[in-house]
Amino acid sequence: MSDFVAKKGVKNLQHKDEKLITTHCCYCGMQCGMHIRVHKRTGEVRGVEPRYDWPVTMGKMCPKGVTAYQTIEHEDRIKKPLIKKNGKFVEASWEEALDLIEKNYKGLQSKYGKDALSVFGGVSMTNEKCYLVGKYARVALGTRYIDYNGRFCMSSAAGGFIRTFGVDRGSTLPWTELEHSDCFFMAGSNTAECHPTSIQWFWKAKDKGAKMIVVDPRETPTARVADVHLDLKPGTDSALANGMMHILVKEGYVDEAYVQERCNNYEQLKEQVAHFTPEYTSEKTGISIEKILKAAHIFGRSKRSVVMFARGVEQQSKGVDNVALYSSMSLLKGHIGKFASGVATFTGQGNGQGGREHGQKSDLLPGYRKLTDPEAVKYISSVWGIDPEEMPKPGVSAYEMFDEIQKGNIRAMHVICSNPAVSAPNTEYIWDGFKKLDFLVVSDFFLSETAEYADVVLPATSWAEDEGTTTNIEGRVIRIRKVREPYGDSKTDWQIMSEIAKRMGKEKHFDYKNVSEIFEEFRLATKGGKADYYGVTYDKIDEQDGVFWPCPSEDHPGTPTMFKERFATEDGKANLAIVDWREPGEIPTEDYPHILTTGRVVYHYLSGNQTRRVNFLMEQCPLPYVEMHPELASQYNFQDGDFCKLTTRRSSMTVEVKLTKAIREDTVFIPYHWGKELSVNQLTNPCLDPISRMPEFKVCAVKLQKIAEYEMPSPI
Amino acid sequence: MNKIMYLEFERCIGCRSCQAACRECGDHDAKERNYVEYVDFMESRQTYPMLCMQCKDPACARVCPANAIQITEEGVVLSAMEEKCIGCRNCTFGCPFGIPKFDFEENKMYKCDMCYDRSKHDIAPMCASVCPSDAIRFIDYDEMMQLRRKRTQMNLIEGKKPQEGNKWEYVPEFFGVYSD
Ligand code: SF4
Ligand code: SF4
Repeated sequence: MSDFVAKKGVKNLQHKDEKLITTHCCYCGMQCGMHIRVHKRTGEVRGVEPRYDWPVTMGKMCPKGVTAYQTIEHEDRIKKPLIKKNGKFVEASWEEALDLIEKNYKGLQSKYGKDALSVFGGVSMTNEKCYLVGKYARVALGTRYIDYNGRFCMSSAAGGFIRTFGVDRGSTLPWTELEHSDCFFMAGSNTAECHPTSIQWFWKAKDKGAKMIVVDPRETPTARVADVHLDLKPGTDSALANGMMHILVKEGYVDEAYVQERCNNYEQLKEQVAHFTPEYTSEKTGISIEKILKAAHIFGRSKRSVVMFARGVEQQSKGVDNVALYSSMSLLKGHIGKFASGVATFTGQGNGQGGREHGQKSDLLPGYRKLTDPEAVKYISSVWGIDPEEMPKPGVSAYEMFDEIQKGNIRAMHVICSNPAVSAPNTEYIWDGFKKLDFLVVSDFFLSETAEYADVVLPATSWAEDEGTTTNIEGRVIRIRKVREPYGDSKTDWQIMSEIAKRMGKEKHFDYKNVSEIFEEFRLATKGGKADYYGVTYDKIDEQDGVFWPCPSEDHPGTPTMFKERFATEDGKANLAIVDWREPGEIPTEDYPHILTTGRVVYHYLSGNQTRRVNFLMEQCPLPYVEMHPELASQYNFQDGDFCKLTTRRSSMTVEVKLTKAIREDTVFIPYHWGKELSVNQLTNPCLDPISRMPEFKVCAVKLQKIAEYEMPSPI
Repeated sequence: MNKIMYLEFERCIGCRSCQAACRECGDHDAKERNYVEYVDFMESRQTYPMLCMQCKDPACARVCPANAIQITEEGVVLSAMEEKCIGCRNCTFGCPFGIPKFDFEENKMYKCDMCYDRSKHDIAPMCASVCPSDAIRFIDYDEMMQLRRKRTQMNLIEGKKPQEGNKWEYVPEFFGVYSD
């Protein structure tokens, strides 16, 4: 198959000395289609060309996507393995680096047992790699301790979906249907900044008269275009969702037949929401009664609604509850499994969907199988060629791995495609954990804040130097193409894992010559699981513009719309959420009188390790800041550009003040894409959701103080 | 080329992808020629993009004493010709939209040319290609006229009626860049 895919009649600008290679953006879950311009003779990456005919994004890209190619041949790329000697990194050969890893891994395991090693994975990489990370931890290293950065991203959505529908596919409908919806209820998602190319779909629907209800403590660029902006107090989503359902029930907006036939718990739900009157809901959420009523009536009257949410509701100690509650709103309307309606979460990372399904999570095996299910263990063991007895037991969640480090149980860690030194909550605890480790290996292509703590840094390739598949925000499996040969001495993550496996005496389980071989094994491993990819092939992806899972056989077209007939629970019925009001982990007190919330800006991605190196993006947003309402600011005599010291029970940091009325008066906001002293995650609360183990990034109590003079540290 | 650059300010989400993309156009020396501004960040996050209107009778060309600013047969107003531009910067002051910029290192004026290398082949300019909200579009004249009519129709469906003091809300707040 050709590397350049374009439909008939679509015009692209193609320079004579260049070829176009068709792929997708490396950053968020939108996975915008793009062509990378490559010089024919030198193989050098020249730029980007819009992929007008990719049906989900139509050539559109956000500024991260437009500039993504600039990271590929960036001067900061790590070209050779680095070994830390006397506190300084020294370039080394792969032999030396692997020797050192082998010596330490084997030494630590013989002294402290198999579980002395751990793996911290990530989902900004292909399905093939994500799949292999789980196998690498369990087969090559034989450890139970594996988890990944999706724990800080999609875990609550996953928990809520599984509880409600029995399976976790981020969107129950294909997004190309969104233009036909007539109402969007969007909670805790600043999609205009975090998934910018999704906006075209909402505008298309709005142009036809669709209504948008946006739930957010800030009047974000998304909330700005809403018909009703429900400006709730951070951490009160469960009250709002219950309050909305109270009105749906009371006003007869419930599709009784659908609910009777397809849902459990309706009677209990009615009882539960009875006391969430608009008055009570307003008191808890801080939203005016008038707005609550208006939103409920718009949503209630809608014929084809989509309920959507993102990290705003998920990164809370009630994340799973919130997801289940908001999903229940859609169930009451009878809108799941139907045209242009349903429920969706906005996947944060490029492969946040696929990466969480195939065994990077501490308790999961490929195909969304449970590690606690003996049948699953048996099947996967047979695919991997190991004895089921050898399969390690479930480990602990991402943040809890750092508790295990403190306890001395985990002695070494391999961080792959992640930067928890920035993205985990309560970062000072994380930094301390890294220092405590006997041995830390980091695979990355830029020297991240996490890599700085490493004993060995292995140069991984970027997304453009390898092929494979990812699964986008909708659950559509798509194809990433190789754009150029590995930069410097870098190797792909799958090669790195295979090399280490070889050193650990497990080469027979990692004998891959190319990505297709991993893909074939991966398909087989997912076969019969909830996330079944068995019928997905590279050719089919090209032919069909991607394939939606589940796709159990090669003649199966895939499943764009979920739950048309039944849900994936045991009895085939969805479980309505019965959840009472509960406070977030921290509420304002006299000492910490305000609420701090965190989030993204459009110019940066996750921990910023990539985007902080791109000139255009840094020109637009070089440093974090604190967004504050002028009413709150005047209590402290803050003016635009003053320095504010923010302190929580964890730590403190100082940033510039940015005044705007587009935020609640009791809440301040700081974006999280920077490291060290500039990391807002020094302040955030590691209070975990009881089910998903998601930390509460989005709500904590904070105090403010004006600082006369301050020198901001460097952002890189 | 029989296309129009069509702006709809209200849709803009302030992502500045149009600016990033402007730098990517082959003839643009990695310098953007459009801009995006907040209306008033203190009040709201509303932003708007601005690019060259490709005026029929461009102020920049008129005020150029060296006649350095050429207009193509399709009506695209180009950057000043290097060999003619004397660096007086009259054009940067003359343009009511603040489009022409001056490169002090190279000592020459540069401006939006609708990505002429693309648009002359009827391929959308970079900004219009990437704009996630369709605040910038590259469309046919007829499509533009239809869009303008639709706007009024939507207001009728919504049961809105202009009143004294909010009439401006009913005037389509966009305009086309006529290149033909
Ligand atoms: S970051 Fe997301 S929205 Fe932006 S171009 Fe990449 S995939 Fe598209
Ligand atoms: S790309 Fe579009 S939405 Fe983004 S700033 Fe430019 S005009 Fe606005």
